[in-house]
Amino acid sequence: MGGAAAVLVLYPIAYLIQASLSVGDPQARPPEAYGLANYTGLGRYAHIFGNTLLVAGVATVMAVVFGFAMAWILSRTNVPGRVAFEQLMALPYYVTPLMGALAWALIGAPQSGFVNQVWRALGGDGHLIDVNTPWGIAWVMALFEGAVAFVMIGAVMKSMDPSMEEASQVLGAGRMRTMLRITLPLVLPGVLGATVFVFAEMLGSFSAALVLGLPNRFYVVTTAMYQLVSQYPPRFPTAAAMGVSLFALMFVMIWIYRRIVSKGSYVTITGKAFRPRVMDVGRLRWPLLSICIGYLGVAVILPVLTITYASFQRLTSVWPRLDNFTLANYRTALSLDAVRSALGNSLLLGLATASIGVVLMGFLSWLIYRSRLPGAGVIEYVLMFPQAVPRLVFAFGMLWAWLVFPIPIYGTLWLLLIAYLTVFLPLGLRTISGVILQIDRALEESAQMCGATWGYRLRTVTMPLLKPGLVAAWLLLFIASVRELGASILLMGPKAKVITPAIVESWFSTSSELTAAMALLQTLAVAAALAILFTVARRATQPVGE
Amino acid sequence: MSRASIDVRDLVVRYGTVEAVRGVSFTVAAGEHLTLLGPSGCGKTTTLRAIAGLERPASGEIRIGGRAVFSSAPSVNVPAERRGLSMVFQSYAIWPHMTVFDNVAYGLRVRKLPQEEIATRVREALELVQLGALGMRSASKLSGGQQQRVALARAFVFSPSVLLFDEPLSNLDAKLRAEMRVELKELQRRLDITSVYVTHDLEEALAISDRIVVMRDGAIEQVGTPGEIYDRPRNTFVADFIGSANLIRGRRRPDLERDGLVVIETAGGALVHGTADDRRSGAEALMAVRTVRLRLERVRPATNVNAWPARIRQRVFQGDFTQYHVDWDGRQLIVRSAAPDPLAEGDDVFVSAEPRHCVLLEE
Amino acid sequence: MTVSRRTFLKTGALAAAAAPILARAPFVSAQARVTKVLDFQTGADVAKAEQEGEIIYYGHDGEAGIAVLLDSFKKDFPKIKTSYVRLQTGALYAKITAERSANRFGVDVLQLSDISPAIDFQKKGGWEKHVSPEYAGYKAEHQSTPVGYYGWGGVSFAGISYNRGKVKPEQAPKAWKDILNPAFKDGVSAKLATSGMQHAQWYMLRKLYGNDFWPEFAKQRPKGFDARAQLFDRLSKGDDRMCVLAEYAGYTLFQEKGADIEFVAPADGLPAISLYIGVVNRAPHPEAAKLFVDWALSKRGQMVYQNQKILLYGSLRADAGPMPTGKRLADFKLLFPSDWNDFAASHTAFVKEWNAMMGL
Repeated sequence: MGGAAAVLVLYPIAYLIQASLSVGDPQARPPEAYGLANYTGLGRYAHIFGNTLLVAGVATVMAVVFGFAMAWILSRTNVPGRVAFEQLMALPYYVTPLMGALAWALIGAPQSGFVNQVWRALGGDGHLIDVNTPWGIAWVMALFEGAVAFVMIGAVMKSMDPSMEEASQVLGAGRMRTMLRITLPLVLPGVLGATVFVFAEMLGSFSAALVLGLPNRFYVVTTAMYQLVSQYPPRFPTAAAMGVSLFALMFVMIWIYRRIVSKGSYVTITGKAFRPRVMDVGRLRWPLLSICIGYLGVAVILPVLTITYASFQRLTSVWPRLDNFTLANYRTALSLDAVRSALGNSLLLGLATASIGVVLMGFLSWLIYRSRLPGAGVIEYVLMFPQAVPRLVFAFGMLWAWLVFPIPIYGTLWLLLIAYLTVFLPLGLRTISGVILQIDRALEESAQMCGATWGYRLRTVTMPLLKPGLVAAWLLLFIASVRELGASILLMGPKAKVITPAIVESWFSTSSELTAAMALLQTLAVAAALAILFTVARRATQPVGE
Repeated sequence: MSRASIDVRDLVVRYGTVEAVRGVSFTVAAGEHLTLLGPSGCGKTTTLRAIAGLERPASGEIRIGGRAVFSSAPSVNVPAERRGLSMVFQSYAIWPHMTVFDNVAYGLRVRKLPQEEIATRVREALELVQLGALGMRSASKLSGGQQQRVALARAFVFSPSVLLFDEPLSNLDAKLRAEMRVELKELQRRLDITSVYVTHDLEEALAISDRIVVMRDGAIEQVGTPGEIYDRPRNTFVADFIGSANLIRGRRRPDLERDGLVVIETAGGALVHGTADDRRSGAEALMAVRTVRLRLERVRPATNVNAWPARIRQRVFQGDFTQYHVDWDGRQLIVRSAAPDPLAEGDDVFVSAEPRHCVLLEE
Repeated sequence: MTVSRRTFLKTGALAAAAAPILARAPFVSAQARVTKVLDFQTGADVAKAEQEGEIIYYGHDGEAGIAVLLDSFKKDFPKIKTSYVRLQTGALYAKITAERSANRFGVDVLQLSDISPAIDFQKKGGWEKHVSPEYAGYKAEHQSTPVGYYGWGGVSFAGISYNRGKVKPEQAPKAWKDILNPAFKDGVSAKLATSGMQHAQWYMLRKLYGNDFWPEFAKQRPKGFDARAQLFDRLSKGDDRMCVLAEYAGYTLFQEKGADIEFVAPADGLPAISLYIGVVNRAPHPEAAKLFVDWALSKRGQMVYQNQKILLYGSLRADAGPMPTGKRLADFKLLFPSDWNDFAASHTAFVKEWNAMMGL
């Protein structure tokens, strides 16, 4: 089974590497001649690799700072409403970087950006902020990856023994000093792990750089590859070589990440009860509260409001004018095949990907982290590959791979399902294995010692313990599938369409306002689907009495 | 309750290329309480887990109640859940998503016992571990000591033939640990069950075992009753690990040895008579004598061997006993005495030991 | 690079030989039978087309544009369902060639916005030969060579457009040379090398003003985008002050939305391209495909291409009426490349120069 999953990953990658070595006619499949010219020719694109590292580096630092600050505030201090805020921290993930980038383009473009329009109206000169810069791109990416960093760092902070911090305070160290000297070093391995992970994510990120970088002639590797394959004749070999190079870089990152993770002990749910305590930060509560509100404000509230506002405008301007309001964007959006059938397809695929994915990836995680089978480590590495390949590039590998596959799934939703399951393997494995690793092996072993067979243990102990993690993984996979862009764009068939490519395409070829309407419709549909699912699920499962 | 013997023969367990257990053999009689004792990394937990079936040995044979549950030739490997054993884990491994009752009832439900019988037996078991009132409480809301008791009740409630303990007390604080030790002993007596217990804590091992197996680096150093282990450590490792012994080095004097006693002469010329049992040594030999087996007297005792003049250098009062550091033969000996009449620092005394308490060590 | 009649015949013959299925395809006889349906002529068997009941269209227009086009066709032929794939011409062409190289033939009609891939597709034997009776409404130069592979489904042309709020009247551009005015530095937009229209402009203005024209323009640090909607969206909002590849269609669409922008048609002429539409061979629904292409090239279809604001491709039909703005295609001085093979051959040089100019 692990081997089958590995094939799922390696099959397209083989085609990708083959393409990167093609030096004949770039469109010929299979290649006419092989060589390294595509790699040696990458020197021309050195500035693009530089851009990528710059944006990813800056964005990573910002995201980790956001994530760390939020994690510390929400897991270690008595800031008001921390439980609610912890739940709300999932929102940036739902909002998605694409919507964030679209919104921030409206907010912070040097000329038409709302902030700058107001700035000039107040007598300012030029522009106050400019998101069409490396810093702006990094800012938007960081806002959304910050939520990921928060989850990773928060988990570490919660597993930390609070007595260490208390000891420091007893010894007379101030709170700030305690945080810098005690908290920070203790969670450093976790923070480092999050940093490496986020950096790898940033290297492969696409939508923010596309929406915000293009207007300023600023390309990163993924957007450059996108351009190279959109042009006629499409330069697959060059794009593939770029992708494989990026892949090599990310491979190193993931290797470092694994080293960090494997060193730390990540067993935090043991048979022992453990309640992390929080510290009283006194009046500092209020500034910390405003940081939380501020973060959610710029990452969620402001973007959503902006998109909503723009979606009702003919030509978006910060100054509302009655004759500028319209419902036409929604009328157009709902008339599009891309919205009508694609939205349903997207939700269906999300449902299927999440449900099959949780079972598949849950089993794989268990296989890798619990079974001690020989070769489990190798399989883990292979399954993490898609993390390192930008999905658009991976999609070409899949396109070539599944085109020649004898079973006719090409052009159907099945292909998209396979594609999603492949590209989301790392996401699912990471989420589920995070939970598996946190569960003390002895909890399963003690069931075994009580005489329970494999299936009985799975049903009564392993699954219930994993349930919160599995639900989280299901949600992640559902959202990730519905918002998937890179792989879908190429693999969609005429009768198997999904929604996100249509949104991006709409940004290219129609207007910001229609795009805003489509993005909002997508978000609403996802929210509605989740609300229905949860209501049904809650009704269906009897609450376990306590 | 049912009892089964355990037979371990030439057990080898490997992790990759590391041999964690290197050819260990021992037996546990039906109803016997055996302890595997040793420092961390000595292979004791691995051995226990191999008996449990949680670790697959590379070779050897394990028989429980005469039935082979593991054997490399012919190949047998009964899965853990079918070995009829039970185990208490170091981390307790209490399932946080269940109530106390559900935790304890688990093994009974696995065995598909009728509801009423489950209820009765769980109640009895919880009463036995003094948790009678907590059945409906969520297991995650228990203190460490309470979780320990739940783990115990869960382990014995379904009448396993053997009970395995993997350092069950190591997560408790010192006071609770001492209490639980007594309770555990009482429980073992009442259950009358074969048990294998793993610990690195000497006092625990001495308190609750019929027999102790001392392990180091995946091999057995000594097997014996608590008394034997305490009084007759086989070698320097065991003597060291058991602690509070004076080691005396000297040259063998075969010319003086008679009546089954061995004699060594220290560098300072003192002659020490001791017992060899079946241990062998070279011309250079080491003897161990427990601190409590040395006597201090103001006058020369009426014995013709093992009585030497010495001087009190330091006295440390420790309540139950007084510890003296004594200058003897150009070095210090440590003597623990419960005698009511204290000696003063600087006093000239005689220190003596019976030859049966001076034990020849293998190095 | 010339597609001679002989090479064509050779590739065509090869394709036919490789596809025994074609042997029984009634394409020769179909050309002979012309029927009138609604108000246009078709070489397709309409009953058979309706029996096939479906058409799969690969196109380059935006979602909204394709939706309008296909819905109009469906209104005329309700028995024929439509579905489509939409990608940028480059990616679209890559997809269809990859599919065909793996022997997957799932496309009925292909429409491209760039002639280079259309010619390449012809070389590869990808178009089905279908001489639409509606070709009669077009000049010979507005058809494939030889005739019968693809038709010119509509013209897009570009001038200059600027934001009236951001550009002083005295600086307003009038001729192509004005786009080099340093006052516009960092405020100029154009399309990326993905665009066939951009290729045409590069080719024509280079012919008119010499090879130094574009390197001079590069000093403006122009910003490149994928589609006209983006160009006009930004121009309308003032993010860019001037767009040098201002397609007339985009201009009308945004002017109607209330944007304060101006369209300039330089006296030297407006670079123009057509879109190219044809039946794909080994189509799963061959009769429906022919019917669609005939419909698209007919006056009826052309009015959709020309008059729907989201499409607004001027029709090359002799009998085409005025565009919704009241102007006819003939009112503009259009600049078409005179030698399509030379134009197609210049593509590589264009992509190289343009990518470098756009920071890629």
